Formats: sequence, C-alpha cells, structure tokens
Amino acid sequence: MLRSLWTAASGMNAQQTNVDTIANNLANINTTGYKAESAEFKSLLYQNLQSKTTSANGANKPVSAQVGLGVRTASISSNFTQGSFIQSDSSSSFAINGKGFFAVSGVDGQTAYTRNGSFNISQGTDGLTLCTSEGYPVLDSTGAPIVFDAAMNSSNITVDSDGNFCYPDASNNPVPIGISIGVFQFANPTGLNKTAASLFTETGASGVAINEANTAGINKSKIKQSYLEGSNVQVATEMVNLITAQRAYELNSKAINASDEMLQQANSLKR
Amino acid sequence: MVKGLYTAYTGLINQQNRLDVVTNNLANATTTGYKKEGTTSQSFDSLMAIKINDPTSANINQNIGPVSLGVKIGENYRDYSQGSFKNTSGPYDFALSGNGLFSVSFTNKAGEESIMYTRDGSFQMAQDGSLVTKDGDPVLGQDGPIVLPTDATISTDETGEIYADGQYIDKFAITDFEDNNYLEQYGENMYKAVDGATKKDATATVMQGYLEMSNVNVVSEMVQMITISRAFESNQKVMTSIDETLQKAVTLGQL
Repeated sequence: MLRSLWTAASGMNAQQTNVDTIANNLANINTTGYKAESAEFKSLLYQNLQSKTTSANGANKPVSAQVGLGVRTASISSNFTQGSFIQSDSSSSFAINGKGFFAVSGVDGQTAYTRNGSFNISQGTDGLTLCTSEGYPVLDSTGAPIVFDAAMNSSNITVDSDGNFCYPDASNNPVPIGISIGVFQFANPTGLNKTAASLFTETGASGVAINEANTAGINKSKIKQSYLEGSNVQVATEMVNLITAQRAYELNSKAINASDEMLQQANSLKR
Repeated sequence: MVKGLYTAYTGLINQQNRLDVVTNNLANATTTGYKKEGTTSQSFDSLMAIKINDPTSANINQNIGPVSLGVKIGENYRDYSQGSFKNTSGPYDFALSGNGLFSVSFTNKAGEESIMYTRDGSFQMAQDGSLVTKDGDPVLGQDGPIVLPTDATISTDETGEIYADGQYIDKFAITDFEDNNYLEQYGENMYKAVDGATKKDATATVMQGYLEMSNVNVVSEMVQMITISRAFESNQKVMTSIDETLQKAVTLGQL
C-alpha cells in the first residue's frame, strides 16, 4: 500500500518538474537566443512482488512478477535548433545562423558562451569596446576582447557574414580592420552548463570549445548584423505539453486518493 | 469461519499489489518509451472440502465440493504496443516504430558490463562523439558503441543506418525477441534479457527527431483503479462480517 503512495508521489514530483520547465520556456518566449528545454523521464527501480508466476495457459513464466516504484527526471535538455531572425535597428546586434556561440569574458574573467548577440559598444579605457548588455566584453577569434580605435564612428562599423569587422575607407568602401568576432562550437552543446543572463559555460560533457576560425573542415556559422535570434520556443508544443503535465499530475493525485481510501478501509477493519 | 478471514486477507493483499502496478503506470504516464504493465490474478489451488462427523447424516463423510482459499498474482505482463510519437526535432532523438529495442551497453556499480535493451531513444552525443543515453551509457551499433564525427550533420534512414553528412557510419543494433516474457525490467527504462531469451530480427523502423511516448491509456488505468478500490472494499466488508459472526459466536456463551 505504502508503495503506491510513494510511487504516485514520485509521479507528482516529476510532473512538477515538467511544469517548471514548460513555465520557464513560456517565460523566455521573447528572450533573445533562448533555447527551449524539455524534461524527460525514466522509470525507477523494480521490485519483485512474487517470484513464481504463471501465464494464462498455466506455464511458468521465466521472470518474476515485478512492480515498478515510480519515475524520476532523466534530463532537462535544451533543444539547440535555430531560432527565427528578428530585425534590429542596432548595428551592434548580431545573430548566428548555424551551430556556433559567441564568447564573452564573464564576471571573473572566465569565458562564457551565448547565442544572444544583442551587444553594445561602450567607451572603454583602450577605445570602443564591444560588450553585452551586462557589460561583459565580447571576445574575438583569438580570445581577446574586441576593441576598436576610439577615433572610429561606431555606427559605421560593419560585419560581413564570416564575422570580420570592416570600416569604410575614404571612398566609403568597407575595409576589414583585422578583427573578427569569435564563434565557437561544441561537440555536445546539450552538455553546456546554463548560467544566468543567457550565458553558457563549458563542461566536461560539452567538450572543449572548438574555435571556428582556426579549425579546418568545420561547418562554419554565418553572422548576420542588425539581426537578433529569437527564441525557438514553440507555443503550441508547450501548451500541449502543459496539458499532458497537468493531467498527469492530477492522475497521480487520484492514485494517492485511492491508496488513502484503501488504507482507511484497512484501518476500519479493527473496531 | 476463520478460513474465510484469511481468504479475504489474500484478497486485500492482491488488490494492494494491483494498485501498486496501476500507480506505477500512472507515474510513468509521460516517461519516454514506457510500456504499460498489468497484473493477472490467480486463485489458490482448489481443495476438496469434506463434511465429517455430522450426526445428521449418520456420521458418513460427505463431499461438499472444491473450495479455493484465496488469490495470488498470476503474472505481471507488459503491453508492448506502440506508443505515440512526440516531435522534438532533436538530432539525437530516435523513436522506434514497430517491434524492436535499442541495445545499450550498461556497466553496473561492480564494473560488470552487460547489454540492456530500451525503447527510449533520447540519446545525446558525448564529447568524444560517442552516442550515449541520457545517463551516459553507450548506444550499440553493429560492432560496438556508435561513435559519430562531432562536426557533421547526422541523419538516419528507416532501417537504422546512420549517416554523417551523407556518409555511412554505423547502424543501430535493434533487437527483437521471440518471446518478450524473457525480458526483465531493470528500471531506468531498460530491460534485461534472462536465460532462455532468443533474439530475432527486428521489424522496427527508426524515426529521427521523434521520441516515443508511453503507451499508458489513462482511461483504462482510472477504471482499473476504481475496480481495485471497490474490490478492496468488498474484501474489507467480508472481513468485517466474518468478524461480526465470530463476535456473535464468542458472546453466545455469555448470559
């Protein structure tokens, strides 16, 4: 009896995690570069109810009667599919078309990665610095912060699809200035550690960052200037998932009710 | 009299066990690749009841007939029918359509390696390019774990052949069994083959970008749950009425 109570409780917990994940997806539906997450579940341990069992025709079955003890969350993994492009008026907005990530220098100087290309140009000590809206410097393909000459007019800086920064010369033709935006890929992006502000950090599971600029034979991502990548959350999918999660939660609570009633009846046996 | 008390008791235990199984189905209603389980009940072997020492029939023993003194679990079975598909468009999500199971190399705590089978195709790529389950167990191909190039686009065809940028890499080891009764539940969505299991060619086709959901039918589980709690109640009523009768018998001698 108590078995079914705890089994149902594990089911309710799992569905709570499911709703948490869905709610976070819906909350981030307008977050630039957000990747939808999904919770997946696995069955828990199995226990022997009875060792000898017979099938319908009376033959002995090779396995014993087993009962499962519930469910657990197997993973909450992000789905790294391409989000849609949203046009932006800012020339320091970038979107990645492909598998790459931008690199930024995080709080303690640790490199973090992001798909959110909504950057700003700020007046740094060495010149104009490209940074995120939190002020973290964006890194170039050599891993150094992207700093432009203070004399440059920031609105004239352009970026070609390979990520090279250009500045117009006297005859107004864009000329590469020798800096290109750093784009990195991971063997297993699902393994990246998620931190706040749309930033990811490298882990053992994700593998080391692969620099697109100096790795041969890699499918290079394309950079689009004045565009931002929208989230890849699909509202219809999330809604269907929400319905399933809520109903499954309800079902498990019904199972707890049934167990409770049966316990009560067992209790009333002794008057 | 007291015989009936124990018969009702086996009924109560049996309904509890059945509820445990139903609850586990409900808890796993959204588990990837879960196959619903069911229980059958079996009566105890019937015994011949004989009336003895009855003076009304001149002390001649008379047959009453066979009685069965309780109920136990007949078997637990799994329903391997197809679950519905959920579109995830994840490159490492695979669903099986038809009969068959993915093979996974599983290492237990003692370091012993064995092959487990699963319908759960939510895999991921490890940093060395090997295809692993969400718990990190390598997924098996034709000859050992599947290792994919990390920078290529992975696609599969229906037969389970894996291509990286159009180039053949490996093929999923999809196995089916002559008799699914020889599969034991391990937990973690995995099945273990027990002695006597014979493999056969799988007819399943592989679909990339989909996951197979559980095949738990919520309506039938709810109906089951109602039946179980009512059957439990009936057994409880039998028990209380036997108790009342016993009480009458006990108080008979008191004036």
